[in-house]
Amino acid sequence: MALDSQKTEGFKQIGTRPDRPDGVDKVTGRARFGADMTAPGMLWGVIVRSPHAHARIVKIDTSKAEAMEGVKAVVTRADFSDAITPAPGMRGEMWNVLENVMADEKALYDGHAVAAVAATSQLAARDAAKAITVQYEVLPHVTDVDKAMEDGAPVIRDGTAEASVPEGMHPNVVRYHESGQGDLDAGFAAADLVIEETFKTEATHQGYIEPHACLATLGGDGKGELWCCTQGHWNVQKVCAALLGLETSQLRVTASEIGGGFGGKTAVFIEPVALALSRKANKPVKLVMTRSEVFRSTGPTASTSMDVKIGMTKDGTITAAQGIFRCQGGAFPGAPMEFTAMCSFAPYNLKAVKQIGYDVMTNRPKQAAYRAPGSPMAAFAVESVIDELCNKLGLDPIDTRLKNASREGTQANFGPKWDRIGLVETLEAAKAHPHYATPLKPGQGRGISCGFWFNHGGETAVMLALSEDGTAQLAVGTPDIGGSRASMAMMAAEELGIPYENVRCTIADTASLGYNEISHGSRVTYASGLATIEAARDAVKKLCARAAAKWGIPEDAVKWEDGCAVPSGPNAGDHDPLPLAKITAKMGATGGPIVGHFEATPEGAGVSFATHIVDAEVDQETGKTNVSRYTVVQDAGKAIHPTYVEGQFQGGAAQGIGWALNEEYIYGEDGRLQNAGFLDYRIPVASDLPMIDTVIVEVPNPGHPYGVRGVGETSICPPLAAIANAVSNAAGVRLKQLPMSPPRILKALGKHG
Amino acid sequence: MDVSFLLNGETVELSGVDPTHTLLDWLRRTAGLTGTKEGCNEGDCGACTVMVREPDRAVSLNACILFLPQLNGKSVWTVEGAAAGPDLHPVQQALVDYHGSQCGFCTPGFVMAMVSAHVNGDTAHDDALAGNLCRCTGYAPIIRAAEAAAQDPVPPHLAETSTAPSAAPSPHAPRSSDELAAIYAEQPDATLVAGATDVGLWVNKALRDLDPVIFLSGCTDLRQIKSVGDSLRIGAMADMNAVRDAVTPLFASYGEMIRRYASVQVRNAATIGGNIANGSPIGDNPPALIALDAVLHLRKGDTRRSLPIEDFFIDYGKQDRAPGEFVEAVSIPHQPDRLKCYKLSKRFDQDISAVLGCFNVRVEDGHVAYARIAFGGMAATPKRAAQVEAALWGQPWTEATIRAAQAHFPTDFAPIDDMRASAVYRLGTAQAMLQRYFAEDAGLASSVLEVSA
Repeated sequence: MALDSQKTEGFKQIGTRPDRPDGVDKVTGRARFGADMTAPGMLWGVIVRSPHAHARIVKIDTSKAEAMEGVKAVVTRADFSDAITPAPGMRGEMWNVLENVMADEKALYDGHAVAAVAATSQLAARDAAKAITVQYEVLPHVTDVDKAMEDGAPVIRDGTAEASVPEGMHPNVVRYHESGQGDLDAGFAAADLVIEETFKTEATHQGYIEPHACLATLGGDGKGELWCCTQGHWNVQKVCAALLGLETSQLRVTASEIGGGFGGKTAVFIEPVALALSRKANKPVKLVMTRSEVFRSTGPTASTSMDVKIGMTKDGTITAAQGIFRCQGGAFPGAPMEFTAMCSFAPYNLKAVKQIGYDVMTNRPKQAAYRAPGSPMAAFAVESVIDELCNKLGLDPIDTRLKNASREGTQANFGPKWDRIGLVETLEAAKAHPHYATPLKPGQGRGISCGFWFNHGGETAVMLALSEDGTAQLAVGTPDIGGSRASMAMMAAEELGIPYENVRCTIADTASLGYNEISHGSRVTYASGLATIEAARDAVKKLCARAAAKWGIPEDAVKWEDGCAVPSGPNAGDHDPLPLAKITAKMGATGGPIVGHFEATPEGAGVSFATHIVDAEVDQETGKTNVSRYTVVQDAGKAIHPTYVEGQFQGGAAQGIGWALNEEYIYGEDGRLQNAGFLDYRIPVASDLPMIDTVIVEVPNPGHPYGVRGVGETSICPPLAAIANAVSNAAGVRLKQLPMSPPRILKALGKHG
Repeated sequence: MDVSFLLNGETVELSGVDPTHTLLDWLRRTAGLTGTKEGCNEGDCGACTVMVREPDRAVSLNACILFLPQLNGKSVWTVEGAAAGPDLHPVQQALVDYHGSQCGFCTPGFVMAMVSAHVNGDTAHDDALAGNLCRCTGYAPIIRAAEAAAQDPVPPHLAETSTAPSAAPSPHAPRSSDELAAIYAEQPDATLVAGATDVGLWVNKALRDLDPVIFLSGCTDLRQIKSVGDSLRIGAMADMNAVRDAVTPLFASYGEMIRRYASVQVRNAATIGGNIANGSPIGDNPPALIALDAVLHLRKGDTRRSLPIEDFFIDYGKQDRAPGEFVEAVSIPHQPDRLKCYKLSKRFDQDISAVLGCFNVRVEDGHVAYARIAFGGMAATPKRAAQVEAALWGQPWTEATIRAAQAHFPTDFAPIDDMRASAVYRLGTAQAMLQRYFAEDAGLASSVLEVSA
């Protein structure tokens, strides 16, 4: 339902492009990130990690390390809470987190933490870590999703499977999803052409440039302080408290500036270890991951194996669609297969559709969210098949998508009816874009793809305190991962009627606000934005009350206009407008500090769709792809700060280009990660990318006061498919496996690959 | 060791420095300057970029693989020194104005790479920033900021160089090749450190203790590049940007290959002598030098010898270099520019080669009068394609000859499968390179850029 008070035009601040408040901090080196903090008497922590993909831990001997000079603490699994036990079924998520943070009986992947040490210098800690001897009994391992499902594959952890998993499946298949509607057989029978293909994608890492880092202080009295780079410090607080057996409120967590996350910093890895070391040593402990640890031990995205079957009539109507999505998420349950399944056909209005997802465990690190987790892979498979159908039937790829597009009121592939959505508008904008009309040069191919992401609301608390001089301090609880301090300040300024520069937005620590869910699900501008607007309105209400008291009229006879309280209605009397700063100057004497706040779990996040256009050329002799032109068209609902919306569009597309063409986790026969560094896990540099063009479509989200939809994640949904379609059309052969590396393209071309 | 340098214009004097203490660790942990970031600690991400201001140019370097003794007598600038007090440097202001930061973690490194390019008047922004990773922006706002700042004057504090102090001479830091020869002969088990782009990884990643070490950065005579007789003689300590400048007019394709083979930061530190001496099978200079029939000059004490460079590479990890002997220079005979270097890597810029093929074929009267072909990434050492060459010599320069010669690749090479490429891909693309060289010679449009993979 639309909010009664929704406003989508007539803004003074919204839609402008002011400088970000943290701009100077970042160009001068003043911004403090995870590893930039120190404490007096601080120790350095180092984690000992398993070199084996799968091994029973027979014995850990820490005696030699403990005897070394400068070593102050060594911890193993025994130093964490024993109250966390594997719950039956899938109710043991906290146990899974603990198991990932520090191995218990088995090391489950190359890089799995097995012990940690704190010493007076990083060098001493490294030397001590080398002196910890771990006796392993190496077990058979499996790292490929399809092989992990085969009979006889090594079992990662028996008895983990949910009851919903069909009988007879390998114990590594731990969760199952099925959704859809209609008569598939009749649908496929009605098609003029049915195409069924199998696709595979490799795991890719979020690739944030800042490695995980934290500084922890925890006393024997259970009181602690933690500084860390995270997308959600309340979650860190909750998880750490549980893993260490603390009272949640006794642990205060402050989020540092965060050097990229993209979902990968929603999880907790080193923070509980640093706290455990600190508690044991009774000193602050700093723990910073190496780049190799980031690759080996934090969550990449899931890898997938997918079968997609779609039927189409000659006029381009999709008659039926079916997808089977096998996702591995490492040695733990949780691969986002239900998102893969549900996102797969979301752009299309289908009478007959079915999607099945399998969550498969392998000996790899626990997958973490990566920007619309699960959705890009689904789009890769589905949109590739649609492209092939269009090619075979001689249809225009945009017209065909328009013909089948989901619209307000049509039924989604996973059940509900769509609210107001903007897919059609993105397709129409793409069709009208000069890019789509530009003729291709010889050797080039063009690819189109749509993409979908749910977006999320989540628990949110915001506080806005006015200062005597009429400026505002805005405290939000969602770490700023894309310029949100600017957009929050803009929304507060809009409501208060004061200049943007007069609002200082900070990310509050866990002691200063109520619970805030993680900055994930593209929720920040939506949920913290909504809460900011409501908190500002709460402050405005209080400002109006002060004016009413001054004027001796009822509160409802005062309204707020352009930063001033003004009389409203025929009986309010004649009073000069009272500016905000005049009210706050006297607030101490007229009732005390004026603070607006808002706490809620908003649920109207509003889904988001995008359409991407890509031109690519392929060198037929070497298999090298060049992305020559790229246009992102996406529905933002309402762009608060258009430049930062465009930044999200471009960032998602850039990551998608890396994922499609080059990035992949490469495991050796020994189950070890072969390319745990930027030297061999190559993310795109400036010369790899075209200047990515963007079009912001604005179809207001009924669930936000200004119509905002989250934009951060949808931008990575179409690129894999759009690029695959461009490459396939350029090469003249369908590419069905990512990354589309030069050798793989040559192989598809039937040449030496 | 004792080390002195200027840091953001102020004198720093350190004594008793651990020779393998990196500038990055010292900045962040000792000096309390945390603006310079650690993203990878192996020279791949550029987040730790700093600038060394030399009299005639600015040099951007990765602080994570830069040992403090390498800075002796230098003027070092970090992100904290880019602005003059509260006045932002033009590139800093442009990054704010053009919204060039999202998370901002990579920003200080970009700032210093951009400040260096700005001092040098370098406007090839993609090149200048190829050593800096940003995962948030897709680079467009950063490139726009670089373009916007290009016309602004260099701020006074960076426009001129101040004389940097230099610590007293150390037995670990010779100031000439003669001193080096004497010291190294006495300590033949010492590790020589030139640019440290590889040795830095031995310390940071392999956690090796290197003792003793000898720093070559003071041996300025080894940096010389000059024509001697009928050859271009390149001193072992010439950095790869200097080598690029010197070879580009003579062998354009070699110069272009150097542009791609590493980031500016790495090229600024890396030396040709280091790239040859460490003997990596995927070093990118040796195949080009072999194809050009270069001669390597070695010295031990007062004894010098020269050998064809291909003879230097004996086996994987094994070179023809005696204890206490060092690479002094390499000479490239002047010759017609018939060289083409084809570099295949996963990513276009700044990536390790899967295959590097260098072709130098002269044709007279329609027949092959000369052929030298060498590859990296195809064997345990940089290696000549001897059988392929033999199949070309004296033959008509035709498609049929190419096809016949291609058949000899499996005799010359038995490449391996690894994560960078399969053996089949390596062999196939190597054969395709010969075809490409021939087609290119016949005037078909092609360049070293287009065959990148």
